[in-house]
Amino acid sequence: MSDTNEDRIPVFKKWRYWYRLVLGFLLLLIILFYFFTKHYA
Amino acid sequence: MNFSRLDWIVLAGTLLLIILYGVFKGRTSRNLDGYFLSNRQMPWWIVLLSIMGTQASAVTFLTAPGQAYTDGMRFVQYYFGLPIAMVIVCISFVPIFRRLHIYTAYEYLEQRFNLETRLLTSFLFMLSRGISTGISIIAPSLVLHSMLGWDITLTNIFMGGILLIYTATGGAKAVGYTQQLQFIIIYAAMFVAGWWAIKMLPEGVGFSEALHIGGKAGKLNVITTGMTDHGFDWKDKYNIWSGIIGGLFLALSYFGTDQSQVGRYLTARTEGESKLSLLLNGLVKVPLQFAILLIGILIFSFYQFYRAPVFFNLAQEERVKNSAMATEYAAATVDYEKLQEAKKQTVVDLAAALRNNDQAKIDDLRTQLQSQEAASRQSREGIKAIIRKADPSSDANDTNFIFLRFVGDFFPKGLVGLIIAIIFLAAWGSIAAALNSLASCTMVDFHKRLSKKELSPLQEYRWSRWYTLLWGVFCISVAEFAYNMGNSLIEAVNVLGSWFYGTILGIFLVAFYIRRIGGKAVFYAALLAEAIVIGIYYLDIISFLWLNVIGAAAVVIFGGVLQWLFFSRKVNRVGS
Repeated sequence: MSDTNEDRIPVFKKWRYWYRLVLGFLLLLIILFYFFTKHYA
Repeated sequence: MNFSRLDWIVLAGTLLLIILYGVFKGRTSRNLDGYFLSNRQMPWWIVLLSIMGTQASAVTFLTAPGQAYTDGMRFVQYYFGLPIAMVIVCISFVPIFRRLHIYTAYEYLEQRFNLETRLLTSFLFMLSRGISTGISIIAPSLVLHSMLGWDITLTNIFMGGILLIYTATGGAKAVGYTQQLQFIIIYAAMFVAGWWAIKMLPEGVGFSEALHIGGKAGKLNVITTGMTDHGFDWKDKYNIWSGIIGGLFLALSYFGTDQSQVGRYLTARTEGESKLSLLLNGLVKVPLQFAILLIGILIFSFYQFYRAPVFFNLAQEERVKNSAMATEYAAATVDYEKLQEAKKQTVVDLAAALRNNDQAKIDDLRTQLQSQEAASRQSREGIKAIIRKADPSSDANDTNFIFLRFVGDFFPKGLVGLIIAIIFLAAWGSIAAALNSLASCTMVDFHKRLSKKELSPLQEYRWSRWYTLLWGVFCISVAEFAYNMGNSLIEAVNVLGSWFYGTILGIFLVAFYIRRIGGKAVFYAALLAEAIVIGIYYLDIISFLWLNVIGAAAVVIFGGVLQWLFFSRKVNRVGS
């Protein structure tokens, strides 16, 4: 049971890239939802 | 609503599968580490599904399609703060919780502040979670009681009691593994429900046309700003700002300080796996919620071509038909159906215009459809007023019944049973996690901390099982009490979380980020903040999502002022 910050980070080298992915994906979703709303209205 | 033998077989088989799987997978070591933390050996994908299963209650699946049907897709904005909260929880909360090897989030508060603050926060959590779990039992039970005529007490016992078979014996491990299976069944069934709704659309109307019809009727309002002619509407529940800001504080409180969630990600094998499961939840939650809401839009489009029920709660409709208001109700129904017929013709014309890509006609018909939709809504409000007049204690809000009524009226045998099964599974997922977390707080924060008698690991394990059982009985009793008290209590208690979440979050924010504020200042600041939040709630001047922001901000501000005015600057430094 290792419980340190040195845990292997999946996919990326640093956690900060994961944080950027999550926040970037949210931004992308909001933009897509905006165009979705516009398109179907 | 007809519930066939095949439906019973599917329902019983699915529930039995979960119970047996929970008992089989729930074998764990007989100590607190095994019972509450699965010995910290859960892989990230189980933790992820456990986090999602804890968050989604039965009402999520009952209400969301109905919410989209009546109010459109804008409800999805409620979840916009969640991904941001996941990042903050991963940066600030998870490392400290993991490093301190705690069982409950509130243990940390004693190390950072004092015992009083730990006990107050744990108590506030248990109070709100215990009562809200009771409500999460009665809410789906009431729907099944109304639609299928099932006995309410028996339904409550099945909804909140049967899961105790695996939750009390297997603890966090059984909760995690069953939530994994429950999640797969629930989303598979919802996918089938969506597919069936598309299949039910009339010939020549496909998925795209159904979306256009919903959109032209104003239902695909995924992004709204909350702005009116008089500025920003603070009482507007769902818009992009309340979703991002209010939703962020709500999700931060829920995932960072609510033991029912903290207890899930503390079971992960490593700190990295705790983080990974939370971040993946941040990635998938919004699209999944969007997909569930979309089912409501498909149902809406379907009902534009077929006769939609005037009121979706069957039992309530029967009661008003047999009351003194029967004549008035019948007259209002005739008016509503005339509006429906006119709307149907508009939608048929709109579908043809969409096929021919006739933009001028589409624009005309959209305006016409929106005014007819507004008239229909007004007519339905009139019908609801008649229902309330016929029976003042009745629930005139039928949003929770829309999806199930559609399922009961149009789904084939067997699939109806599966949809009812997912209501139970979704309820069990969130209730099981709640009971496990309530038992952990009772055992770790109160019993073990305050008892002078030293207990062996086996005794602690046995006490924890008893506490799980007792909380199960408590929550079922709350459900029974809420039913006897009527609908108004249920509605009041539904916002109970917002009364406490902001304050609890404020305490943790001070603990993590403002080292200068000590235990006594934060304790009194929390009491003051709580009084203010409840006061603002009763003044009814702002939507409930903002209460989380106010509660958290009040603790931080009062904590700072009280520390500066009255208390010493000497404070503990833990976890940094």
